[in-house]
Amino acid sequence: MSRALVKIGGIVGAAVIATSLVAGCGSSGDTIKIGAIAGLTGNFITEEVVKTAGRVFDDVNDAGGIGGKKIEYIVKDDAGNPQRTAQVARELADDGVVAMAGSGSFTDCDVNDAFYRQQKISSVMAVGASPKCYQSPNIAPVNVGPFTLITAELLFASETLGNQKVCNFTVVLPGSEQAVNDAIGQWEKISGKKLVVNDTTVQQSGDLTPYLLKAKQAGCDAVLFNPGEQLVVPFLKAAQTQGMSDVDFLLLAPAYTESVAKAVGGLGLKVYAGSEFEPFTAASDANKGWKDAVTRAGAQPTAFSQGGYLAARFVVDVLKSIKGDITRESVNEALRSMQPISNPMVGTPFIFGPGERHAPNQASKMVELKDSAWVPLGDFITVPTSS
Amino acid sequence: MLQLSAAIAGLVTGGAYALMGLSTLLTYRLVSVVNFAQAAVGAFGAFAMVILYEEGWPLVLAVPAGMIVGAALHCGLGAIMVRWFAESSEGVKAAVTIAVYTGLVAVGLRLFGAQHPHRFPSPFDDPAFTLGGVVVTWTAIVTMVLAVVFAAAPAFLLRRTKIGLLLRAQAERPTTAELIGVRVPRLSMIVWGVAGAASSLAIMIIAPQLASDFGSQAALITPALAAVLIGAFRSFPVTLLGGLALGVLQGLASTWQAVQQFRGVLPFVVILVVLVWTRRGDRWDEPA
Repeated sequence: MSRALVKIGGIVGAAVIATSLVAGCGSSGDTIKIGAIAGLTGNFITEEVVKTAGRVFDDVNDAGGIGGKKIEYIVKDDAGNPQRTAQVARELADDGVVAMAGSGSFTDCDVNDAFYRQQKISSVMAVGASPKCYQSPNIAPVNVGPFTLITAELLFASETLGNQKVCNFTVVLPGSEQAVNDAIGQWEKISGKKLVVNDTTVQQSGDLTPYLLKAKQAGCDAVLFNPGEQLVVPFLKAAQTQGMSDVDFLLLAPAYTESVAKAVGGLGLKVYAGSEFEPFTAASDANKGWKDAVTRAGAQPTAFSQGGYLAARFVVDVLKSIKGDITRESVNEALRSMQPISNPMVGTPFIFGPGERHAPNQASKMVELKDSAWVPLGDFITVPTSS
Repeated sequence: MLQLSAAIAGLVTGGAYALMGLSTLLTYRLVSVVNFAQAAVGAFGAFAMVILYEEGWPLVLAVPAGMIVGAALHCGLGAIMVRWFAESSEGVKAAVTIAVYTGLVAVGLRLFGAQHPHRFPSPFDDPAFTLGGVVVTWTAIVTMVLAVVFAAAPAFLLRRTKIGLLLRAQAERPTTAELIGVRVPRLSMIVWGVAGAASSLAIMIIAPQLASDFGSQAALITPALAAVLIGAFRSFPVTLLGGLALGVLQGLASTWQAVQQFRGVLPFVVILVVLVWTRRGDRWDEPA
């Protein structure tokens, strides 16, 4: 009886050891797992972001990987749905990712910040959209983000264009009102000016003409408007109807797309947008590497895809600097002790660092709409940091 | 002054609300279904039109094609209603349309793209005249005229014509109507089709001036239902006025500091006020 038990125990023990060896070789041993969350379906599609980042990782793998190990890039679709965002982050953690790179989800920071802290997962985001993305010890987006961009664009209006009556109309998403007000406060401090109209109550529904009438009545010579394409197009069309061709319209990065250029290019309005990076429509040397990657990835070239490219590149550089095993701990250590990485696509160097919050990118270029195409304007506008 | 201009600007949105509201009321009055999917069906037709237009079809062909898509889709929904839910209560039917609405939005977002909205042609974009500092476009006038037609035609049809009589009979007592020889299913299908085509046309006209993505268009059902509620789910002219009033109210709200951030929820407030007002008798007139 006891002999049989020993026998069985021996077989079971051997089996356990064998499977764990096989499993060990199959998963963490061979590849470096990097995760990303993006909207592949649903309301916010950021497919081009992860496709471009994936291309960068594939190139690294084709060149032999990092220390002989291949990068396994695991992209999960959150469909723009917060529940899914939370769920896929847990799936990625269970998969054993060493870090996140190139995420392009608008709910990721708000939903998963606490989880990333708890699991000690660092995320180099491609597109940070909510204030949380810039206030976490575990997240560092490579893009400027909507808040610093507001300050940069207001500076562009008051300093470069010399506008006297600057007005702001923003759609405020839940939880970001403070960040928007801080960004405006920052501009007021630097420029010593005040907004003539500051309306942060713009709704995503209904006709936008009443807001334009308000701007007209206040005599605004510059109007900042933050939403994406689906609202920017009717807004500018209504502005044209109301004859506001002498006003400078300043849009944020989500409106800097080919389809907006096509839709409102012929309206005869003065339209500018912040590009977050080296403008993606610029045929500059700075864009060469990204352009090549995004083309070979078969993805749409957008400012967001630049974010995906940069996030992947920065993470690869950091991984290459690691001596020894690449684990969650060693990646975290490397990110926190890294040297700043300069890239001509961004105005300020990227650094993760040990801080409690990360907003490494503080500079944006502007683009102007001319003949249904976005034309890059001037140099990076760097927001002087005060905090 | 700003209030006046904002109110005038609000008339355009109001026209849009009225159009959608009247399509919804048409469906309700003729086939007794509170159709939450009405705007989503309309958006489907409108987006079908845009895609054909972008493919190079001329507008005169793309618009009817889009209306046919809307009509076909609405007939599909109608077939479900007639076949399986003809004898169900209004609550059950409404619940079914809510499920259909959710499904249509999911499919619509997938089919028509959310990130890069389509460019709706706006042939009536030229300014018509200036009133109170607001430049009014031909779109506004077309919307208004169409809204009046939408309000007048069904009212006339129901009250003055034989087919209207049959439709009323069918809406109120479908089984009885069928027993006395009214071809209820066939008549219903015609109504579903017409209402679907009308919604598609309505969305096509108002899409260029509102957020032009599928989700926003489908969400027009909320102000539309508020307008229908003002018309007590009966009156076409009052629904028209209700829709216009709602638009004007939203325009005004954007100039009024204290309420401007609640502009988006105004339809719900209106729904609430109307419900309380119409139901006041139920409670207050009861003997103590």
